[in-house]
Amino acid sequence: MKLIHIKLSILVAAFISLTSCSSDDDNNSDALTGENNVSLEFDNSMNGDDLILGASTYTNSNDETLTINRLNYIVSNFVLIDEEGNEFIYPKDESYFVISEENALNEVVLTNIPAGKYVQMRFGVGVDQEKYQQGAEGQGDFLQIAEENNMMWAWQAGYKFLNFEGTFTAPSIASSTDFKIHMGSHGNTLDNYKEVTVNLPSTAMVSDEMTPLIHLEVDANQILDGEHKIYLSEAPVVMVDEVKSPQIAENTSTMFEVHHVHNGEGGHH
Amino acid sequence: MFLLACSNDDTSYVAVNKKLSLEIPANFPNVTYNLDANPLTEKGFELGKKLFYDGNLSANGFISCGFCHEQRFAFTHHEHQFSHGINDLEGTRNAPPIQNAAFMKEFTWDGATSHLDLFPIIPITNEVEMGETLTNVMAKLQANQEYQKLFLEAFENGEVNNENFFKALSQFMVMMVSSNSKYDKYVRGEDDISFTEEETYGHQVFKQKCASCHKTDLFTDDAFRNNGLPAYPGINDLGRAEVTGSASDNYKFKVPSLRNVEVTKPYMHDGRFGSLKSVLDFYDNGVQDSETLDTILKQNERLGIALSEEEKEALIAFLLTLTDNEYLNDERFAEY
Repeated sequence: MKLIHIKLSILVAAFISLTSCSSDDDNNSDALTGENNVSLEFDNSMNGDDLILGASTYTNSNDETLTINRLNYIVSNFVLIDEEGNEFIYPKDESYFVISEENALNEVVLTNIPAGKYVQMRFGVGVDQEKYQQGAEGQGDFLQIAEENNMMWAWQAGYKFLNFEGTFTAPSIASSTDFKIHMGSHGNTLDNYKEVTVNLPSTAMVSDEMTPLIHLEVDANQILDGEHKIYLSEAPVVMVDEVKSPQIAENTSTMFEVHHVHNGEGGHH
Repeated sequence: MFLLACSNDDTSYVAVNKKLSLEIPANFPNVTYNLDANPLTEKGFELGKKLFYDGNLSANGFISCGFCHEQRFAFTHHEHQFSHGINDLEGTRNAPPIQNAAFMKEFTWDGATSHLDLFPIIPITNEVEMGETLTNVMAKLQANQEYQKLFLEAFENGEVNNENFFKALSQFMVMMVSSNSKYDKYVRGEDDISFTEEETYGHQVFKQKCASCHKTDLFTDDAFRNNGLPAYPGINDLGRAEVTGSASDNYKFKVPSLRNVEVTKPYMHDGRFGSLKSVLDFYDNGVQDSETLDTILKQNERLGIALSEEEKEALIAFLLTLTDNEYLNDERFAEY
């Protein structure tokens, strides 16, 4: 019985959408229908240069020269905002992703996004306290994904929001020295989760036929060389630092910019 | 297909999974654990217990949770100042008892997590404790037919995954309530229990000199405090500051519960004291000043807590009334 009902409703829906399609022609309306995927590509770079792990060197405005061996971060809680300001909040349980240069995790696919014209996007960097306080239920398999990508702070059963590692030299440090920047919330006392809002330079169109790809340019140079200047020569290892960790969190939240949007039928890049 | 599957159900036996209820002792504060998010069931509890005593949660297959948390000693590692885990590596802190976790807000000596569900990650992945990864633990459990069956019985979706793994362990620990010591029966007016003169005096001294930190009938305020222990040679354990990154939290550790303190020696986060007498002597004359020393221990123009020998003896007599033999011998929690 259930099956029959579903089949009927699909037929009805198909009929309605067909009829609405034909009426669209009259007023050249922009009504988009259905739902589809939205892909987000996180293209990591360093101040305009391609980020190449273990090879290129990058000199920042702190006069420090970095070789980067790891750039992993967590993005979460995606919200798509359309031209009228309506917000589509992606289901929270599905809204946590690791971006990892070393493991070639650069794409997030948001599924079942309702048809619309989206002009803005909001998301989090890291994991919010609300999610953490959901305990076992809230974390689900994301704990394992975090562990497999070096994003679990096992000693405090929490998440690293950012794992940025490599070697550097500085005017005062001539020989290549390891650096490690691990940033996350400090238990429940210091919340380093940050929200980011980015504008889309052109509208991302979603419909049954249209599945856009939003290409983000991520400038990892901001992590140390952003609004706050973080000198590795002062501290090459920053993990739980009451002063520097929140600064790194703020810097990290400014590294995202949407470079362009592809609208189309999927499979495009 | 759908209908067919329904009629086939007759052949697959699904064990009945009864709900368990957590009895909250009349003299306890409110439960902090969210029971709605993880309803207690018999099968969930039994699964949690099996996991608690399973060495496969460690890298070498031998170090279970129960290895360092022995029931007879209120789930502490008896006579071990520092617990030794995998490959006989030693940690730097003394294994705390497991009891009344459902009523607590912070876990581990430095409050590294504030959620009981996520607590087991810490010992499982610690290189000197169980030295394993969650990914490996899941792979081992998923490959095990018995566990497949037990997860199926314990949880509605029946999956062998992180979520259900941690939920089962929490169900076991949530049920571990110690509330039937002589003290409990005395304050609840049960079984005509009365205190001796010395216990009564000890109780008075306790309320006057200890209860501002060892609060409520949990005997902890769940706060982090520096109690003035001199630095341990070779170990610079910053305690709470390791979690918060704040120098104002240096050398602060969670105030431990005193329940079953008779059997949980050695004492302090680093297990430096072998007897309750030594602990009380320390508070009387061993407290060392530092920037983060708790202000409670800097009153009346002296460091520590003035205690006469008579008061110490009475306090120890009182502390022994916190021993809960029902809990220490409760078969529901026993390994064998």
